[in-house]
Amino acid sequence: MRFLVFFQASLFFAVSAIAAENPSPSPAGTPAAEARPSAAPKEHLATELRGGSVLRVNSTNQSYDFFRPWSKKAPSNRRGLGAVIDGGEVLVTAELVWDSNFIELEKPDTGERATAKVAVVDYETNLALLKPNNPDFLKDLQPLDTSVAPKVGDHLSVVQLESNGTPVSTEALLTSAEVGHYVLDDYSYLLFKMSCPLQYRDNSFTLPIVEDHHLISMLLRYDPRSQTIEAISTPVIQHFLKEADHQPYQGFPSFGLSFSTTRDPQFRHYEKLSDSEGGIYVDDVEPDSPAAQADIQTGDILLSVGGKSVDPDGDYDDPLYGRLSITHFITTLSYSGQKVPVTLSRHGERKDVVVSLFHKPPQDYVIDPYVIGRPPRYLILGGLVFEELSRQYLREWGPSWQREAPQRFVYFDHYQADLFPKERKIVFLSQILPNNDTIGYPQLNYMAVERVNGQPIYRLEDLAKAMEKPVNGFHKIEFDLDPKVIYLDATKVQENAAALQKTYSLPAMRRF
Amino acid sequence: MIRSTFFGIACLVATSAVADTPKFDVHKSIVRITTTAQEPDYRVPWNPGSISTGIGAGFVIDGNRILTNAHVVSNGRFISVQRENDPRQYSGQVKFIAHDCDLAIVTVSDPNFFKTMQPLHLGPLPTIQSDVDVYGYPIGGERLSVTQGIVSRIDFESYSHSGADSHLAVQIDAAINPGNSGGPVLQNGKVVGIAFQGYSGDVAQNVGFMIPTPVIQRFLADIESGHYNRYVDLSIVPESLTNAAARQALGLPDDDTGVLVSSVESDACAAGKLEPGDVLLSIDGHRIISDQTVELDGENVDLAEVIERKLKGDKVKIDLLRNHQRLNVEIELEPNNSYLIQANIFDEYPRFVMFGGLVFQPVSKNLLEAFQIEDLRVRYFYNNFINDEIFKDHPQVILLSNILPDPVNAYLSEFRYQIVDEINGHKIRTLADVANAFDETSDFYTIKFVGASRPAVLQRTAVEEAKERIKDNYGVRLERNLGEETLR
Repeated sequence: MRFLVFFQASLFFAVSAIAAENPSPSPAGTPAAEARPSAAPKEHLATELRGGSVLRVNSTNQSYDFFRPWSKKAPSNRRGLGAVIDGGEVLVTAELVWDSNFIELEKPDTGERATAKVAVVDYETNLALLKPNNPDFLKDLQPLDTSVAPKVGDHLSVVQLESNGTPVSTEALLTSAEVGHYVLDDYSYLLFKMSCPLQYRDNSFTLPIVEDHHLISMLLRYDPRSQTIEAISTPVIQHFLKEADHQPYQGFPSFGLSFSTTRDPQFRHYEKLSDSEGGIYVDDVEPDSPAAQADIQTGDILLSVGGKSVDPDGDYDDPLYGRLSITHFITTLSYSGQKVPVTLSRHGERKDVVVSLFHKPPQDYVIDPYVIGRPPRYLILGGLVFEELSRQYLREWGPSWQREAPQRFVYFDHYQADLFPKERKIVFLSQILPNNDTIGYPQLNYMAVERVNGQPIYRLEDLAKAMEKPVNGFHKIEFDLDPKVIYLDATKVQENAAALQKTYSLPAMRRF
Repeated sequence: MIRSTFFGIACLVATSAVADTPKFDVHKSIVRITTTAQEPDYRVPWNPGSISTGIGAGFVIDGNRILTNAHVVSNGRFISVQRENDPRQYSGQVKFIAHDCDLAIVTVSDPNFFKTMQPLHLGPLPTIQSDVDVYGYPIGGERLSVTQGIVSRIDFESYSHSGADSHLAVQIDAAINPGNSGGPVLQNGKVVGIAFQGYSGDVAQNVGFMIPTPVIQRFLADIESGHYNRYVDLSIVPESLTNAAARQALGLPDDDTGVLVSSVESDACAAGKLEPGDVLLSIDGHRIISDQTVELDGENVDLAEVIERKLKGDKVKIDLLRNHQRLNVEIELEPNNSYLIQANIFDEYPRFVMFGGLVFQPVSKNLLEAFQIEDLRVRYFYNNFINDEIFKDHPQVILLSNILPDPVNAYLSEFRYQIVDEINGHKIRTLADVANAFDETSDFYTIKFVGASRPAVLQRTAVEEAKERIKDNYGVRLERNLGEETLR
């Protein structure tokens, strides 16, 4: 089994949380559900939350249109519940507020409202802290404690609000804790799974999950058919809050490697591994990653990490949740800036190394795994629209983008570490806005730019610079696919730029 | 994508009279062909495959030969030929088969068969809007059926039998129905085409296609050598030069002449003769127009049509501009091999090597369709085989296509659909390399896959112990087929 490299498909049919942008009637309470008494809702008034630890959070989100990078898509509303925590802040899922233009907090009992802004956001773990613009807004509210982590088998409460503001909680049984897919592809952390018969109510994009007065979890997804919840786990929330205290926020660390299991006895014999030892096989090490800096190499067998021995499946013994993937220990129980000792076996010899952890921001990848909260970069030259390839762009093809998006780009994204060992971006032609300068060229798109006017192109800035030096009055643009070369008349492109901008109502011809 | 299906044409409209068609007896030329075919299953490559029977048409041409479609007789194990008004069935043999243009020659060894038959003669390309008569055995009855249609369009069309070739085809306004593929399309008593494919379902109505005589004549000329050599191809990608800036940048006059060479396939016949960036000005004396057409016989046709009419070993003369210098090159034309990865395979048993329950097969269209493989890298290698020149390192892309579960391979399931790179340090370029590597004696067999550093490891003792068990369990008739013997 290879980890970290493959995308994990969502286990649920439900797109996101219970009610995404468009509320629809919930199938909960159908005859099928009533026929099973054990699954009947166990709801009661959440009296412990009467003091007001839960707020309505209404967000108006507007993300960029990566197909037309100069404009934003139509705005949409997301409404969920946030948990008031210490420090005058409200915890929500990042997805509730990403690319938001406007955030409003609403007290359930009084209906009093205040605008808020995002104080800290982590898209990878899907958590965000909101701060009301008026600091007194949360003054008389009781913050929830986040210091207690539940055990598998605990009965938790999912908090919702009646339309009159009364908090209602539904009992949820914590059935398992395992590392799994959160919201962005390739980012997996400890995930709580619960069984819970949840009713549809407003403001359910995300919901706090509590145990007594302790905030335990935030709801990620709910599948009404199986009545199961996937939720952000307590250790992830604790890590996030701890790190959020120290600005600048660094993010969850990783080793920057992918590994395989070593269960196969024939493989163990070949690698001369004893049957009693565990260990995982290092498949790939990202250049400049914490693992690479610690000289961990492809083919090494990692035997222990941070003093925890790693079994052939890549699991360690977690005091709270038993056998868990070692990635939980690295990403969530450890922090950026920490040093983690690692024992490994290389060609049969033991070696101890120390890995200095840090977080790799999305901009440091050749193909950004996500572009959220910042606009896409683009440049338009003679009607040719150039962008930098990102997974956010590929996601414009919808949930099955890995099948629908241009295959060459999906391949580039998936194997970027192999294909592009050097630090760079992929600049590509996303479309042509037909005009007098492009007459005779077919409608081209999805082609990576290799050179412009003889200069290699590794990012949009290179393109902007190369544009300034046309060759004999022409821009020569070279692509990786046929037609491999396109010429533009540099003078005419400049003369026609204003008309082009007006014709297509482009607010700007570039954004870096 | 529109799916095309084969088989003849059914008449829906017969509006105009056919007074100018001379009387002749088509019954003495047409035959009904019944083929019992065995189609191999690429998922179980050691099995001989499932047996099916299909019916098509054919017609006699000079030299006691029957002309029909390749798909009528493909994978045939037994071919029976029947004449009109003759109760006997004759055993037929495929003499030549051209999968790239869907044509085949069948003969009948019984000397009496051709005695009363009248060969048909090939006519010209019909003109647009002219009437044609279509003969064949479409569904709806047993007897010969005649229909009439109008020539709607003459253009390059994808030939769905191979799935990877395009040639000239003539579209007629009659729907195509299974059963009279290979049947002649006649005009003024001469063959102007062979009905061969149409659209299935609700995609389009009254659209049928026939193979026109230039393609048939090329096929007949090709097999005169005693062997079918396939179409030849320059294997270059030309680009139109219709953009004003592009013409000026290349220093070309504003005369609508010339196309730009974008790519030259490095293992094909134009390699070393043409280069990316060349501007092709004329081909065999025909001026190349900037939209990739040439004027042939008074009509503008695709530049490729000049090559389409040539045979293996023929030469083509090209005038070109390279770095503003005028050059003449002469290229000896050869068939292209790389594109065959995307063409349907017929008339051979699937190639494979089985070792320790691991089945290795070269990537082909048949294989991907059989397993419905969606693996990103496999799809990428398949689709970009030519433009990324993957054939250089992997003339055959060898896939671990299947694992027959057994204790010996219990932990290897994650390697399924990976592309083999090395076995015991030997680079794997073809299936034969796989067989040779496993023939070597070694304690361990380590199989490295493209893009994966962890190898799959098989211990020789474990493989030997599992050998008979796997063969028994899964009914593996033979452990490898390297394709040394073909069915024809």
